[in-house]
Amino acid sequence: MKDEYGLDVVEKEKVQYIVVSIGNEHYGLDISYVDNIVRMCKITRVPKAPFHYIGIINIRGEVVPLMSLRRKMGLEDDTFTDISRIIILKTEEQGLVGVVVDEVKEVIALTEDDIDRNAQNSQGDKQNYINGIGKNGDELISILELSAILEEGTMS
Amino acid sequence: MDVSQYLDIFIDETNGHIQTLNDNIMILEKEPENKDVINEIFRAAHSLKGMAGTMGFKKMQRLTHDMENVFQEVRNDNIKVNSNLIDILFNCLDAIEEYLETVKATSNEGDNGNEALIQQLNDYLSSGGSATQTTGAAEADKPEVSDASQESSDGKTYLTIDVDDVSCNKIKEAQEAGLHVYGMTVHIQKECLLKAARAFLVFKAIEDFGEILVYNPSSQDIEDEKFEFEFSLVIASEHDLQPMVDAVKAVSEIEGVDAGEVSYEHYLEKTDLPEESQQEEETKPAAKSSAEPAKTSASKTASNNKNANNKPVTARTVRVDIEKLDALMNQVSELIIAKNSLVAISDSDQSGDYNTQTFHDQIEYLERITTNLHESVMKVRMVPIESVVNKFPRMIRDLSRKLNKPMELYMSGEETELDRTVVDQIGDPLQHLLRNSADHGIESPEERRKCGKPETGSIILNAFQEGNNVIIEVKDDGAGIDTERVKAKAVERGLVTEEQAENLSQKEIIDFLFMPSFSMAKKITDISGRGVGLDVVKSNIEALGGDVTVKSVKGTGTTFIVRLPLTLAIIQALMVEVRDEKYAIALGSIQNIESIPVGDIKYVQAEEVIHLRGLVIPLIRLDQLLDSAPKEEEPETLTVVIVKKGDSYAGLVVDNLIGQQEIVIKSLGKCIDNNKIISGATILGDGEVALILDVNAIF
Repeated sequence: MKDEYGLDVVEKEKVQYIVVSIGNEHYGLDISYVDNIVRMCKITRVPKAPFHYIGIINIRGEVVPLMSLRRKMGLEDDTFTDISRIIILKTEEQGLVGVVVDEVKEVIALTEDDIDRNAQNSQGDKQNYINGIGKNGDELISILELSAILEEGTMS
Repeated sequence: MDVSQYLDIFIDETNGHIQTLNDNIMILEKEPENKDVINEIFRAAHSLKGMAGTMGFKKMQRLTHDMENVFQEVRNDNIKVNSNLIDILFNCLDAIEEYLETVKATSNEGDNGNEALIQQLNDYLSSGGSATQTTGAAEADKPEVSDASQESSDGKTYLTIDVDDVSCNKIKEAQEAGLHVYGMTVHIQKECLLKAARAFLVFKAIEDFGEILVYNPSSQDIEDEKFEFEFSLVIASEHDLQPMVDAVKAVSEIEGVDAGEVSYEHYLEKTDLPEESQQEEETKPAAKSSAEPAKTSASKTASNNKNANNKPVTARTVRVDIEKLDALMNQVSELIIAKNSLVAISDSDQSGDYNTQTFHDQIEYLERITTNLHESVMKVRMVPIESVVNKFPRMIRDLSRKLNKPMELYMSGEETELDRTVVDQIGDPLQHLLRNSADHGIESPEERRKCGKPETGSIILNAFQEGNNVIIEVKDDGAGIDTERVKAKAVERGLVTEEQAENLSQKEIIDFLFMPSFSMAKKITDISGRGVGLDVVKSNIEALGGDVTVKSVKGTGTTFIVRLPLTLAIIQALMVEVRDEKYAIALGSIQNIESIPVGDIKYVQAEEVIHLRGLVIPLIRLDQLLDSAPKEEEPETLTVVIVKKGDSYAGLVVDNLIGQQEIVIKSLGKCIDNNKIISGATILGDGEVALILDVNAIF
């Protein structure tokens, strides 16, 4: 939904989301958690690390753990392509954490009205990581609950 | 005059003087006639007085002045030193230290006049030290008085707390709604370790009866343990007071509760009143003798509140020997020269071998300088452990009196240097080990006599450097660890079955002592026995990258050996390759590197070992340990890195050696931190991340 009404619309608080694709679904990440987005780089595997952590990477001299959203959500493993990206999230508790996505699409702004918070028909555990479905025109975007994703534990 | 800029120096120097006083009074206790010591004490007390005066800390000045008076008389041989005086002096030192703590937190000396102490000093002075009875009596009074200053035995602090308008209105509303409004001051035992948790339990208990309207200190501060040993509440409730007080008293480690009904007018008045009348009001209910301490604690709370917003928290500083700085300066100038040479090479048009040659020379030079520079900077960060351990003789002396066991602390190697951050954090664990030795290790004098040992127990604290580690030993000549009892306890606690217990080695049994809440003390004293002990020591020391081991011989004593890394941030490491992954192994733990033909591998209990110069060393296949992809074919010879921890060895099988390198240690981040064999990561020259193997965890 583009804001073409201009001044007529009562300003609703808009939240910006980065839209990424994982598999054939689109997901939205709250931009206020995003530190930056980088291309794929050399990943160092960490033995005995939790399964959903692929390894660690070097972001401007900092060692940053890298998580696979696919592994976390129980999807098939990542295949890295030219358009794969790492989104660096900044969190208060864990510092920087990187997540791998298949592609970064665009940045959109949604108001609370555009997000359906009740769309959680409980099919599968994947719902745990989604706290609403955003509507951007015809497209449906699953809004990721980042705090849930960064919590320990994987899908069994 | 604004003296705040000198505050840091003041705090630093006062600490120094307090330490000198502590040390010298300890000596004085043993050699009451030693003139040099008395002179030294006099000088330190005099400097303290002067500094406190300059900074405008009147109360501190007064106390030190009276101390100085006593020393003056001692120096002139007018009065004699006896154990009473020593006790009073130690109490004075504690009081000065308390002032200093207040100054550190608030940049104010606080309002504790320590009248009782000054009185004792003056009594001693006037009695000429001969009338030991008066001082004896004063001494007997003393603990109560000083306790009172903390607890304010009549300390209804809740009557004097500051209540803001909002809370005042809440109290008013509650009262108008027909509820009882009570004020309550809860005193927590001084030995309490988890004050905030106790406070929380108190809140929970109260919330069963009514609502807490006012917290003093604020609930946030209470949660953060930013309070002394008491806090005050105003509560609205429809119930009677007594059951609530009983419920609060039922919470463990609560020393006492003062409570009574209050009205909002009381607080309303007070918020309008200036501070003097507050104190006036306070003195009224308090009996005359305890008036002073009560006032103190009340106004202390008030002044804490007042100063909450203007705290000039002191910076953490290191005193550096000027020679170390000179060395640093020299290396920096060399660094600049090296940089200039490199600039010159890149500017010159010459190309070819000559240039490459000089370029390499300069790089080598640069490498040497950075290594030296690193060493110098680390040296600047190094401080002798003296600053931590020199508090211990006093502690052991106090413990010895408290436990009624004569014991002596012998220290050596206080000059051993460690990184400042390590030194800061090593104090508590060491203190714990010493208390442990004093309480559990050393037997009672009667028992010692029976065993044919000297009645006075000895505790030895010895520090020295060994390779890249610093070793601190805490040794006692006490009863040693009774492994049978530990075993029985472990079985009783269900940690092992009886059959398993029979087969445990002595080391395995002793390891039980490091388990959380495994206490061997038959009864809980305030010194130890709560089971919050060795496990905390162990985890604290491991957090610093070190480890603790124990050696104990029943009947002759126990030795705790604390091993700490010399430096934290940068280490020399050997880079190795396992498949295509690079790992760093700290050079300090590497003994040597061997090429071992596969045929030389022997088997002991189905484990691979090698026999090397008389040592049987277990082999650890790093690729298996690190879940690497299996290798297609086994090479004929294995590259084995022999690592050492204490007296045990292990051989790590690697694919390739890369070389020695200086690496900067980075943390893995919280998410992957539960990884035992990887202690951190480092970033290599090409930007790649390599993992650091924690050799200690492999054993």
